[in-house]
Amino acid sequence: MDIKEILSHLTETAGVSGDEYAVSVLAADILGEYGEASADRNTGCVYFKRSGWEKDKPVVLLDAHIDEIGMIVTYITDDGFLKVSGCGGLDNRVLLAQQVTVCGREKLIGIVTSTPPHLEKDSSMAPETEDIYIDIGLSGERARELVDLGDRVLIENCLAELQGGRVTSKALDDRSGMAAIIFALDKLKDKKLAVNVAVLFSSQEEIGERGAQIGAYSIDPDMAVVVDVSFAKTHGESPENCGELGGGPMIGIAPSLSRRLSEDMLRIARENHIPYQTEVMGGKTGTNADAIGIIRGGVPAVTVSIPERYMHTPAEVVEISDIENTAELIAEFLESV
Amino acid sequence: MINELKDLCLLDGISGDEGQVREYIISRIKDKAEIKVDALGNVIAFVKGKNRSKNRVMISAHMDEVGMIVTYINEDGTLKLSPVGGIDPRVVFGRRVTVGKNNAVGVIGGTAVHNLSAEDRKKSVPFDKMTADIGCKSREDAQKLVSPGDSVRFVSDFVSFGDGYVKCKAIDDRVGCAVMLRLIDEGLEYDAYFTFVVQEEIGLRGAKCAAYTVDPDYALVIEATTAADIPEVSGDSKVCVLGGGPVISFMDRHTVYDKELYALAFETAKGNGIPCQTKTRVAGGNDAGAIHVSRGGVRTCAVSLPCRYLHSPSCVIRESDLENAYILTRFLLDRTCNR
Repeated sequence: MDIKEILSHLTETAGVSGDEYAVSVLAADILGEYGEASADRNTGCVYFKRSGWEKDKPVVLLDAHIDEIGMIVTYITDDGFLKVSGCGGLDNRVLLAQQVTVCGREKLIGIVTSTPPHLEKDSSMAPETEDIYIDIGLSGERARELVDLGDRVLIENCLAELQGGRVTSKALDDRSGMAAIIFALDKLKDKKLAVNVAVLFSSQEEIGERGAQIGAYSIDPDMAVVVDVSFAKTHGESPENCGELGGGPMIGIAPSLSRRLSEDMLRIARENHIPYQTEVMGGKTGTNADAIGIIRGGVPAVTVSIPERYMHTPAEVVEISDIENTAELIAEFLESV
Repeated sequence: MINELKDLCLLDGISGDEGQVREYIISRIKDKAEIKVDALGNVIAFVKGKNRSKNRVMISAHMDEVGMIVTYINEDGTLKLSPVGGIDPRVVFGRRVTVGKNNAVGVIGGTAVHNLSAEDRKKSVPFDKMTADIGCKSREDAQKLVSPGDSVRFVSDFVSFGDGYVKCKAIDDRVGCAVMLRLIDEGLEYDAYFTFVVQEEIGLRGAKCAAYTVDPDYALVIEATTAADIPEVSGDSKVCVLGGGPVISFMDRHTVYDKELYALAFETAKGNGIPCQTKTRVAGGNDAGAIHVSRGGVRTCAVSLPCRYLHSPSCVIRESDLENAYILTRFLLDRTCNR
């Protein structure tokens, strides 16, 4: 199985929060090889039960979110420019003069407007999303024919290889997590496990972990492993605040997580010589684990995060070895429970 | 012409590193012109027309584009940058780039927005806080691929969108190069000097030397100029508009243009039914600034294409303006030669 190829397909497909169905169909198709998978048109979530599901075995949920950050059309001006609002925490510092795709009745190319220097004396401030327009090169009348309010807008950027086994793309947050889960299932193919493995590729994480909340309720798991991305050190940053690219999965320890599961993960990583890092958080985790931990009567949860640079930009960077080691850790974990 | 513009825009030619563009242009016109490459790398081409020109006329466009240059390789393998030409740092952060002779793919990054203070999140990222990240894990690794002084260029596709618009990097000033190549292809009425010059974006340097060498009576500069015809900008602040035809300036930050040529351009446009506009602000500047004060002075006119988001990886022009700029330039060149 070629992780880069899977990751390339997953990242190139549009799935801004609340509009994930296209990527859900793709992901369900990939998961179908390992069990029973379905894409839910209503919620955008992908539900999966691994082959060999038996009624009385405990259920381990593997979660990664399927949505990506983007924008949403809120208004069309008389001269055909689009106003937008953020859909997830897009890094506004990348916006000016970006090429975007408007996912309207047909896909349209647009450019984020940028005020030229003769009118803009101060380039030290990042723009607010509400201050930009999308230039789609159409009259107001044509724009209204092709674009509806509520259409999603995203910055496309296909997967490209960097040096050092690293890759860059949009939406590596959290398609990398999805790829790690798929790769873990691939490693365990045809193996008998003591647990049922459920996968949830959850929608709407970037706007408040909503897909995870309803998806995990439906699955009703006994424990959960949440696979997301977390901060890798960039130039000039302190190692106290970040992981390292290439350092292996970042195992979460936090008051909101199951300490037992965190310790299991650390032990399994050590026993199997899987490189890992710890990520200690003082309260909640900012991931789906926050929502999944408190569904129904409560679910023990742990985070396993893939280190990533430049989060929430179209130029996110991860190292393939971290995805592989994350998959390895998840597979070993599932074999040990 | 639009296909040639695409080929030209996708070539990389940061100021001082215009080799790819120069080679392309030479290969295109080598059978149609007497070509000289000067000490700075300007291409100076004498093109024969059907008739001898009454005046020595120089028509000029610049080959270089804005970008960045590697100034230092950090210990962690990331690269420090300096802008080459006037770039708003806000159009650089988060972009994909290629670096150096080996075309190493990289991204321009910095601290993740989540890890900044509330105050810093609102600010743009200045050049000294950005790095190019080509994936290398150490200085030693990076040194195998890149060196200080390497060019850093935007990766930006050439795309058509909307109602006859195109977007790419480097449209400033490959549009000028495209117009001039087509003029040569279609044959001239009068002999003329075609100069494809270097280092415009860092101070009109190539044009100064090319104009000295050619020693023209008249000069036409073919350029791209800022259009601000976007929402919340009105009246004179728009400067010029896409779809309004080529732009003839009376004055910009470097040049007061020759009054007779200015009038001649409008008269020529009107007489031939070509849409044409002027700039409603004294803004911007181009190689005319160096050419019109060359030696004892050169009578100079600029024909510019209105361009949104100039000096970004997403320059936008309208195809109809390109066509009209070509037609106007063709007439204007003939009339200037025959004055």
